[in-house]
Amino acid sequence: MSNSFNVIWQNAPQLIYGAKLTLFYSLAVIAISTVLGLIFALLKISHRPVLKKIGEGYVSVFRGLPLLVEIFYVYFALPMILPLHKWFDPYFTPIAGILALSLNESAYITEIIRAGILSINKGQTEAAYSIGMTKYQTMRYIILPQAFKRMIPPIVNQFIQTIKDTSLLSVISISELTRQGQLIISTTFQSLQIWTAVAVLYLVMIYTLTGISGYLERRFKIDKS
Amino acid sequence: MIKVKNVKKSFGKNVVLKDVSLSVKPQEVVVIMGASGSGKSTLLRCLNGLEKVDSGEIYINNVEVTHNKTNLNLVRRETGMVFQHFNLFANLNVLQNITIGPRKVLNEPEEKANKKAMELLKKVGLEEKSTNYPDQLSGGQQQRVAIARALAMDPVVMLFDEPTSALDPEMVGEVLDVMRNLAKEGMTMIVVTHEMGFAREVGDRVIFIDDGLVVEEGPPQEIFTNPTQERTKLFISKIL
Ligand SMILES: Nc1ncnc2c1ncn2[C@@H]1O[C@H](COP(=O)(O)OP(=O)(O)OP(=O)(O)O)[C@@H](O)[C@H]1O
Ligand SMILES: [Mg+2]
Repeated sequence: MSNSFNVIWQNAPQLIYGAKLTLFYSLAVIAISTVLGLIFALLKISHRPVLKKIGEGYVSVFRGLPLLVEIFYVYFALPMILPLHKWFDPYFTPIAGILALSLNESAYITEIIRAGILSINKGQTEAAYSIGMTKYQTMRYIILPQAFKRMIPPIVNQFIQTIKDTSLLSVISISELTRQGQLIISTTFQSLQIWTAVAVLYLVMIYTLTGISGYLERRFKIDKS
Repeated sequence: MIKVKNVKKSFGKNVVLKDVSLSVKPQEVVVIMGASGSGKSTLLRCLNGLEKVDSGEIYINNVEVTHNKTNLNLVRRETGMVFQHFNLFANLNVLQNITIGPRKVLNEPEEKANKKAMELLKKVGLEEKSTNYPDQLSGGQQQRVAIARALAMDPVVMLFDEPTSALDPEMVGEVLDVMRNLAKEGMTMIVVTHEMGFAREVGDRVIFIDDGLVVEEGPPQEIFTNPTQERTKLFISKIL
């Protein structure tokens, strides 16, 4: 067994590097897809048919495709139409990875935010309108703060999913944790040890996030309704 | 002050307001009565533009609410509304519920808004509850805060939609007291209610609505003691 520890310790720097990249991609995707999710949720609940259709179309396309296909599409297919790889050289790979993941995750977040907004009693909106608040003010000061509390649990779930989904970026040679594991194993042939280390690192990241979520839920006194 | 001319409103095939006209003078207290589903709430909601009329005109203070160029947010500032289910903002405490309108809509400084809110809370007898959240208040207390919230916008008219019908009987009085005082101070009020006592004592005029039409109107004593229309008689005999 001492051998197993050795191979892990010897490759710890690469593994940690991979974990850092996983964290970086996760946070970037979470940030971008939260913003996109909010925008498309607002479009989806809009009363204007065109805006509503745009929101609905966005969700059905990007939630409807396998994530792996989305990654391949952005990375391999899109450059055939638009020379993105030239525009963004040498950052095309990370940008393509973040873009593909964000499109997918934001489709799910759109649905979470939309459901959160719609779960707030209509009386709240009417009361806000009745004192002369605009639609924007009503969203900003009344509806979103209430919806936010209810969205924390499902959205943290989605963030956990995002961390796990970044492992698919290994297919376009992004050196995140999973890819690092593969690389290390290709030279050391220590599958069991390295995959165990990789698994533990994922669990640490995810449990940290779960902890933060628990704190937020207590902090905001999530109502059980 | 308020003029409603030939207002019609349907939801799909359901014709709710068939042809309603009425007017309200400054400082008048008008009580609207009628059976469930007769269109009372819909009428009130048309007054501040929460519902759009299909045809007809509504004027509040010489502004045509029903004109499609009218900024409804401006109309609503001047039209206080009190709902059956209070609809206090659940994410805000009592003081914030009252100050959010003045601060965000009227852009009043915080200090001024707070001062006015505390005065209003005193008026509705809830000064000591300013930091409580709505779910920590009884129904009667919530409704009094809701009245204060509407008053904070200095409305020219207050619309009440069955303000006491969701309350336990022992809390009805405290809300009616607040409304009675408002009427005494000269507030123009339109009140949908089944409270006969209140209508008799405070109402200048009762309007009886049935099936989307104004069936009968007049001073409370007359309507209650000598209704001329069959439908009014039937309704009054039911709520007595
Ligand atoms: N948003 C809506 N969409 C569809 N139908 C509606 C809507 N609002 C009201 N209605 C219908 O309009 C009719 C009148 O409703 P309204 O709420 O105005 O009656 P009401 O006189 O206030 O009754 P109540 O005493 O029960 O409050 C009812 O048949 C109701 O179902
Ligand atoms: Mg009603």
